[in-house]
Amino acid sequence: MKKVLIYFDDEHRDNSLELLSVASKIYPNEKISIHALNPSNHNQELIGRVHTIINCHSHTIVPYDYGNLTQWIADLQDTHTYNCILFPSSMNGRIIAPRVAMRLHVGLVADITDIQFNHGKLEIIRPAYGGKIMAAIECLKEPIMMTVRQNVFSQQAYDSVVSEVIEFQFKDFKLNQIKCVKRVDKNDLTQDIRQSKILISGGYGIEKNFNQIYELASELKAQVSASRKIVDLGVVSRKIQVGQSGKTVSPVLYIALGISGSTQHIEGLRNIETIISVNLDENAALNSIADIVVVGDAIEFTHRLTQIIKKERKGS
Amino acid sequence: MTKLICLVKFVPDVDNFKYDFERNIIIRENADLVLNPDDAKAIAFALKVKALNPDVMVEILSMGPRSVAPMLENLLRLKIDQATLITDPLFVGSDTYVTSHILARYLQSIDYDCILSGMHSLDGDTSHVPSQIAEYLSIQQYPNVLDGEYDLNLNKHFNVSVERENFIETYEVSLPILLSFSRESKLKLPYVRYEDMHKVVSDKLVILNNENLKFDRHQIGLEGSLTYVSRSFIKPQNKKDKLVVRCDDEGVMKVYHTLKQWGYLK
Repeated sequence: MKKVLIYFDDEHRDNSLELLSVASKIYPNEKISIHALNPSNHNQELIGRVHTIINCHSHTIVPYDYGNLTQWIADLQDTHTYNCILFPSSMNGRIIAPRVAMRLHVGLVADITDIQFNHGKLEIIRPAYGGKIMAAIECLKEPIMMTVRQNVFSQQAYDSVVSEVIEFQFKDFKLNQIKCVKRVDKNDLTQDIRQSKILISGGYGIEKNFNQIYELASELKAQVSASRKIVDLGVVSRKIQVGQSGKTVSPVLYIALGISGSTQHIEGLRNIETIISVNLDENAALNSIADIVVVGDAIEFTHRLTQIIKKERKGS
Repeated sequence: MTKLICLVKFVPDVDNFKYDFERNIIIRENADLVLNPDDAKAIAFALKVKALNPDVMVEILSMGPRSVAPMLENLLRLKIDQATLITDPLFVGSDTYVTSHILARYLQSIDYDCILSGMHSLDGDTSHVPSQIAEYLSIQQYPNVLDGEYDLNLNKHFNVSVERENFIETYEVSLPILLSFSRESKLKLPYVRYEDMHKVVSDKLVILNNENLKFDRHQIGLEGSLTYVSRSFIKPQNKKDKLVVRCDDEGVMKVYHTLKQWGYLK
């Protein structure tokens, strides 16, 4: 029987649940007992999926209280002697994990993307050098510790288990000296499309209905950009033009609506993770570099996707 | 007197580096190295603080091959008071756990008020070392810092702005602390003043090796490391399969689920 502790990051719940798949990949042929440390005390997603949930009600632990969280995990390790401790590669996960590894005097593998076995030995795979090299890492001591890249492992189907909830008592609680005093939504700060994570870009294909894409943009927390034709027609300001005579953009997601993809437009797209191209013409040039191609009317697509997002949000 | 320490790393130019696939280590000697961009933000912050409070002392600390000494000298021409380079062939191949111990042992031997680092490095990008140093020294850390109030002498408490996924947040922090700067910070390293271009600064460069730090040789380098790179390979080019759908209920639903699966929709 192997014992695994997962760190449940309340700001990244889905990614925290992905850790369960990682655990079963590390121990494919063994029974695993999963403990989940959940400082938020909201256990809804964990109940039925892990054997033990560990909360703390006696102190409020904010997600950036790295000192006390480290103490907490180190104490649990003392009591339960886990074989493996997993964290999501969220901002806070990636700060707490190294501290815990230092405290426990064990190695740590960062931002892993795969688990493999080489002659029966566990190999943890991670990218390095900007993803140009993949390295296989062996850990020489238990507990095996890693942070897991988000959205790489999928959540697995599971048989419901009985979850026991236990309360953690701090022996040595130290008052956190860091306080959040202000929070500003980034969307209120910048209109610069070069800073945007998600861009919804409109082209000639939606000239007459350009203003109808703003609703989808707000659902996706995206910003709106445009191709040169739309700018030349005076529909929108040149400030949001993508391409050679506009701006070079690097969002993670670029949704091109009715943009055929001239060389000058594609010149303005750099290091984009995912491109979606919606176009009536299946053979539009942009489709050849897109990850997802939707053949059809871009405005119709915008409405349909907006409706689905709204509906699913209500449902969940 | 307030003392700021900047942790800096010179990293292989990611577009142009050599890798030893036999030993699974990066060839750092004679490689084209550049100052890690996030670390430049940490130095820029320290220099901004010093510009307001001239008696603040700024030291940069780096670990790497001796060949980075000229790059440290270039930084010393920017009104930095001291550069410390920890270098020893015995340290080659150290993993993040060992590296953190080496740097932390030095830091423990000196006085400081605030440690500044980058958030990510271009090469390994584990982000382990700053957090592990903070843990070793039992100080707090805050990540993804964009900027801070500069007048550190006035008060032991000050505000820093921090980048989160959808928010810019302001935190009140207190010294001593380790702040890790984000590449998104608008801070910029100044240029060297023309008259200082060839200034002799070698007296401000301190070079330390294991004779100074006194580690047992079994605790450092490849041998002391707790993780081990068993093999490395070029990333297989598995281009994502192109998904082509129609603009109907089924097609758009598929796009929705794919966006969700890839993490673009919460």
